[in-house]
Amino acid sequence: MYNSIQEIIEDAEQSHQPISELIIQQECHTSHNSRESIWRHMATNIATMENAVLRGQSGKGVFSKTRLTGGEAVKIKHYRETHRTLSGDAMMEAVQDAIATNEVNAAMGVVCATPTAGSAGTLPGVLFMLKDRLHLTDDQMIRFLFTAGGVGLVIANHSGIAGATGGCQAEVGSAAAMGAAAAVEAAGGTPRQSGHAMAIAISNLLGLVCDPIAGLVEIPCVKRNAIGAGNALIAADMALAGCVNKIPVDECISAMNKVGHGLPAALRETGIGGLAGTPTGQAIKARIFGTEV
Amino acid sequence: MGAKYRSVFDIIGPVMIGPSSSHTAGAVKIGRAAYKLFSARITKVTVHYYESFAKTHRGHGTDYAIAAGILGFLPDDQRVPDAISIAEDRGIDIRFVEEDGPSPIHHPNTAVLEVSNNQKAISLTACSIGGGAIEIRQMVIDQITVKPAGPLPIIVYVDYGKKHPNAVELTSYIDQVAPFSRKQSLKGDVDDIYEYDIKNYMTEETIKDIQAKFNHVICL
Repeated sequence: MYNSIQEIIEDAEQSHQPISELIIQQECHTSHNSRESIWRHMATNIATMENAVLRGQSGKGVFSKTRLTGGEAVKIKHYRETHRTLSGDAMMEAVQDAIATNEVNAAMGVVCATPTAGSAGTLPGVLFMLKDRLHLTDDQMIRFLFTAGGVGLVIANHSGIAGATGGCQAEVGSAAAMGAAAAVEAAGGTPRQSGHAMAIAISNLLGLVCDPIAGLVEIPCVKRNAIGAGNALIAADMALAGCVNKIPVDECISAMNKVGHGLPAALRETGIGGLAGTPTGQAIKARIFGTEV
Repeated sequence: MGAKYRSVFDIIGPVMIGPSSSHTAGAVKIGRAAYKLFSARITKVTVHYYESFAKTHRGHGTDYAIAAGILGFLPDDQRVPDAISIAEDRGIDIRFVEEDGPSPIHHPNTAVLEVSNNQKAISLTACSIGGGAIEIRQMVIDQITVKPAGPLPIIVYVDYGKKHPNAVELTSYIDQVAPFSRKQSLKGDVDDIYEYDIKNYMTEETIKDIQAKFNHVICL
């Protein structure tokens, strides 16, 4: 199994194959499943993602049991239909899909964790926007997820993807890096550019804390996926433009791990610090779960 | 140290009922591991939560997730959010305890499950490491304590009444179809337990083959 992003990039350059192909081969080798079977598995994951995206923006939208989150993907959809958005329609399409997915997640709907449920909106936000903008085929969308998953596997094994151990940088930060690498490949960029895009995406969200109000995966998690998707696209565009990250991607991953270990427990998914610790955050917690601490 | 995550589908997946892969989907897997390990009718479950699990289990739906696993459900089963009342209907007494102290296995997402009926009891100590992946750090079966490396898959074979000392045949078969990084043999007064830390995920067919050939083999 690949031990670093550098290894993946070198292998891809030497064999003249895209990252997605190397990851497909690795998966067949380690799982003893056929190429057809893992391909089908990935296609069903895409179907799950698409269902969540559609559900979150249909009708009045989806609302969580607490009513803390919901309905905002629909607001963005209407805004896009009636306004000239500031950051561009493609960007806001990505944001809309990201928010839709995490609103469904907060409402206990079915999602595909990429890499986690709290960060499940970031990748679909990037993927379905690119599908429209670059006219991606089904096969290209499946390849997008193999690339994202393959580089995510390196992040997970060398840093981590849990908010409780690494903060939100490990969840939305990792998701953004995965999306950035896969977006570069989908747009025809090189494996090395994928590496730079990842490094930029990780660097931009380094230190992001995990501070869910009342311990619910709602505030700020839903909107954090908007910045995850936006960050992935900006990082991918910068890498495609030829921008390079002076700190190599594997060192960025290692830095994320060290920053995560340095975060106090109050900022690692305990619902104590950050936004969860604000007077309003505490009041919401008391309203939902009662006043005992 | 072996990789904690072994498949691209650990990262793109699982397909699950929200809201949290670590505190919900991972918790279903922890409950399910206890369900498989017990492999008999469960009547009583006590769940001890530590650190982030203790602080946020209510917001994350960890209680119903563990109950769902205890019932044998998968993380994407639509019944997951209703699992506590389903468990009660089935006569399972399930309780949750928020522990103040640090995790006994030094992980913020730790749960210790005590599972029993009127004939036997086991305990399982596990943590949810993110993205739905879990590690099992300790199991107590028939008063024998087993400490696996952590990551799944894990194969456990309880040799009731020490009928197959050393389990030579099983070990060589597992080595062929699912290479392991470590095997442990634990001797109890009445039974022996063999535990194998498997290197890669096993296909459904491999699991079926092992279980068809050897009775009482548990694949976690």
